[in-house]
Formats: sequence, C-alpha cells, structure tokens
Amino acid sequence: MNAPSPALEVLDLTVAYGERPALWDVDLAVPRGTLTAVVGPNGAGKTTLVRAVLGLVRPAAGTIRVFGGPYRERRRLVAYVPQRGSVDWDFPTNVLDVVTMGRYGALGWLRRPGRREREAAVESLRQVGIEDLADRQISELSGGQQQRVFLARALVQDAEIYLMDEPFQGVDALTERAIVALLRELREAGRTVVAVHHDLQTVAEYFDEVALLNVRLVASGRVEEVFTEENLRATYGARGFLERPAVEA
Amino acid sequence: MTSAQLEIQLVAVVVAVACALPGVFLVLRRLALVSDAISHAVLLGIVLAFFAVGDLSSPLLLVGAAATGLLTVFLIELLQRTRLVREDAAIGLVFPALFSVGVILIARFADTVHLDTDVVLLGELAFAPFERFVLFGWDWGPEALVEMGFVLALNVLVIALLYKELKLATFDPGLALALGFSPALLHYGLMALVSITAVGAFDAVGSILVVALMVGPPAAAYLLTDRLPVMLGLAALGGAASAVGGFWLAHALDASIAGSIAAVVGIEFGAAVLFAPKRGVVALARRHARQRVEFAEAMLAIHLLQHEGTPEALAESRVDHLDEHLRWERSFARRVVRRAERRGYVVTTDGRLLLTDRGRALARTALAV
Repeated sequence: MNAPSPALEVLDLTVAYGERPALWDVDLAVPRGTLTAVVGPNGAGKTTLVRAVLGLVRPAAGTIRVFGGPYRERRRLVAYVPQRGSVDWDFPTNVLDVVTMGRYGALGWLRRPGRREREAAVESLRQVGIEDLADRQISELSGGQQQRVFLARALVQDAEIYLMDEPFQGVDALTERAIVALLRELREAGRTVVAVHHDLQTVAEYFDEVALLNVRLVASGRVEEVFTEENLRATYGARGFLERPAVEA
Repeated sequence: MTSAQLEIQLVAVVVAVACALPGVFLVLRRLALVSDAISHAVLLGIVLAFFAVGDLSSPLLLVGAAATGLLTVFLIELLQRTRLVREDAAIGLVFPALFSVGVILIARFADTVHLDTDVVLLGELAFAPFERFVLFGWDWGPEALVEMGFVLALNVLVIALLYKELKLATFDPGLALALGFSPALLHYGLMALVSITAVGAFDAVGSILVVALMVGPPAAAYLLTDRLPVMLGLAALGGAASAVGGFWLAHALDASIAGSIAAVVGIEFGAAVLFAPKRGVVALARRHARQRVEFAEAMLAIHLLQHEGTPEALAESRVDHLDEHLRWERSFARRVVRRAERRGYVVTTDGRLLLTDRGRALARTALAV
C-alpha cells in the first residue's frame, strides 16, 4: 500500500540570504534509483538547494526528507561532491588522504582511519580510474583529476544518495565520459544521484529526471516529459534584466 | 652553560613548540592574524580575572584569558558578518579595543602589581629562572616552564586526539559539517587552544614573540612539505631551533632574548622562502629557466619541421640566422641549439640544422597539445 518514500523530498522550501530569497517555496521529489539533474541559470539557487539538503544553510521555511527522515538521521546514506573550487588544493595532503576523508563520517569522533579505510579509498580510486595517483600531492592535480578525487571521496562513503554540485564543471572530455559511466553504474546498483548541471545539451543523454529551477521550481519530472522548450524558456527567459541574481553561497 | 641558561632555553623551546602546533592550523586556515588579535586581547581577560581573584598565579587567570580570546574571535566574526567591514579590518578594530581597555585598567588600578605593559608586549625570558614552582617542598623548576609544559601537553593531546577532525574541518568545512562534525565547535576549540597558549606564553616571552612563533615556523614548514604531519613536525622543530638559536644570538649580541628569537624566526622563514626545494624562489627560478629552454627547443623543432623540404628551408635552418627568424638572442640561440644537438633532436651540417627523427617526433607532440 505505502509506496517507498522518495530518495529526496523537499516541501515548501524557502531559503533566503538576508532578505533576498535564493529559493522560494520549492517542492521536489526525487525517486529512488534515478539520475536527476538540477538545472537553471546562475543564481537560480541550485547550489543552495544542495546545501540546504545537507544542512549547510538553514532554510527559512520548509521540510527536507531524505529517505523519509530528516538529514540529521540519514547522514550515513548521503554523500556529497562539492564544487572543486570550494576547497584549497594547496592544502598539504595527498590524494589517498582526501579520499579517506569520505570514511570519517562512519568513523565518528576520535576514531582514526586505519587499513580498512585506506583499502576502501584505494578501491574507490580504482573505480574512478586514478589509483595510480594515490600518493600524489593534491596541488599537482588537473581539474579533471580533482573532480575524480572528489567523486572517489563520495564513493568511499558507500551512500544511497549522491549529491553532486557541478560534477562536470571544467573537466576534460575523457573525465566527463568516465563520470557518466560512473553515474550509470551507481544507478545500476540502485543508488540515487542528484547533480547540479550546467550543460543543457547533455541533460537528456545523461539524466532520467530533471528539475528546472529559477529561485522557484519551474518544473520537475521525467526528462522526456518536462525538459521542453516551453519550460526552458520559463526557467531561463523569465528573468528580468533589472532583477539582481541571488547570491550563491 | 649555567643551569639558568639551560632553563631559559628550555622555557623558550617549550613555548616555541606549544605555539607552533596550533599555529599550523591557524596558517592553514588563513587565520594567522587572529593569533595577533588573541595574544593582545587576552590581556584584558588576565586583568579582569586578576581583579576577581587577586592573585597573579591563579589558574583562573588562564580561564579568564581564554574566555577573552574566544570573545575576540566571536566579536571579529560578528563584525564581519555585518558585511560592513572585511575580515582584516574587523580584526584591526576588535583587538586594539580590548587590548586598550586592558592597558587602561592596569595603569589605573593595578599599578602596584607586577603587570606592566612592557613585560606584556616583550616579555622577559631572562627572569624566567627566578620564579620557581615549588610544590610539596620541592622545586620543580621555573614557574614558566611548568606552566608552558602543561600548555604544550594540552596542545599535543588535543591535536593528537582531534587530528582527523581538525584536518577535515580545515580542508573542507562543508564536508565536515555534512558528515556531522561541527566545524564551529572545532573552530572555537582551536581558538581556545590558541588563547590558552597565548596567555601562558606571553607571561614568559611577550605577545609579539607569541605571534612570531605561531605564524613563522608553520609558514616556513608549509613551504617545505606537502604532508600535514610533517608540517606539524617541521614547525615544532623550526620553533625549537629558533628558540635555542635566538638565545645564543641574544647572548652574543647582548640583546633581548625574545627579540633575538623573533629575528631567528624571520631568518628561518626567509631561508625557507629562498631555498625550499619545490616552492622556494631559487627552485622556481631554476625551473622557469629550464622550462624556457625546453620550450625554445620545441619551438626550434617546430620551426625546422614547418620549413622542411620547402625552398626557403636553406635560409631558415642556418644556425647563424636563428636570431633573426625566431628573434632570439644569439647566445640563447646557441644554447638551445647545443642542448637540442646533445639530446639528438637536430644535427648540424655546413652550418645548417637538420631535424632528426626524434626532433620530428618532438615537434609533432608539441604541436598536438
């Protein structure tokens, strides 16, 4: 009788920075086992949506449920791939260490990562095809390699839902193909992926579901149903010239 | 070496290492200036705590000072959050205010006690052996050594226990929060450590040296290594070395010990900037010079490849005309040609350059990228 709860459910979500709304009353349900793209113009609140789900920004109103419960109780089911630019790549550490950080949540406070964690990290590096870079200092990585490191760090969390902020941003074609293959593997394994995405050309090819966002949710659902000319115009064209875009934190 | 000299150096080394460890995280978090703010503002906490308990050696002074340190950080962040001023301005506004209140309180009400502003700023390591820590009728050593020994132990303990958490929250606070580690808690925990260290240390060495020791050795270590544990070790080592080196420098120059230690910290950092193996100025200059020649070599190969088999090839490949065609200085052109010959990219016959197969391969790879 009861259908399983969606992987991610957002109800009446409003987030504001100061008095400027970044998200206005957004309702969204992401079915389990799908690849969902979140698209919209700059300042549409895409990153804010991801950050709100993870509890990194506090909503002004609304509810967010991950597999039917609040994020706080579902942390272990969620993996996060932030934008590459969100960290300092000159930090004194190597690739394996960064990937191992994905296990810290499961370890909890005070417990140190050991051989098991490192082996899991090496395994995820293998999955993203850069196991030979394990000992590499992170400042020596290319953009595509940095993105793979972040993906490996999320994979090592062995989560049910993966939230990715622009996973294809500034990566080479080879990396892009590798990431797409990885997303499909995750879907095969029944996992859910929600990715902020910029390239409208590839939405239909890479994703099953799409959410069109411009502060308000314009439309969401199966790509073949809602990724229409009309909805795109409503998402990208409706923005007045005088309206200042909301700040993306 | 007298036992007093040994004790002074011991105090200096313990202070230096105690400062360097939390300093590593300050530097990595780009909060170096916060050490300046905290080490000054804690004066107010010490004065207020002194008024409350009336005893300069009470451990409550440490608590009061640490609380002021946290208050400083909180006020800086509060001011910053208004977005009316930037972080550097916020720091510059908050700590002089708190510090000056402390200075006024001392001048007005605590004139008779041993709390004067010179000592607060510059400290006096030379007096460290005179104040003894006596417990159970036993002389455990200079008070400053015992006190800083505890602070050092506390720093080592906290950083060892929370190493993983501090590293994560420093590298990627977003992930730390998402995984359920509170970056805010860790931030204030670190600031509490910095405050306690600053209070303990400035009694012995003064607040200027506290800043030098918290920022200098970690900043130098950052240039020398790519691994955080090594950076912690090198910062501690560099701090200790500047403590001992500074002591003997002061001895030789008959100058202030704290001042000499700070000078050695500066010299160490300068040496790291110049000679760090990968990021130092010298290493960078050598790498640039090498890249310039390597690039010129590829350019030469491409130039020869483009003209190979064309009517003007005769003129274009003359060694003594390279300076015209590629606009290189003659000496540079000769260097590039010699290197290219040595590596088997070109051969010279009758003053003309001919590409080898290797040279052609080089040109093609260079063009492909």
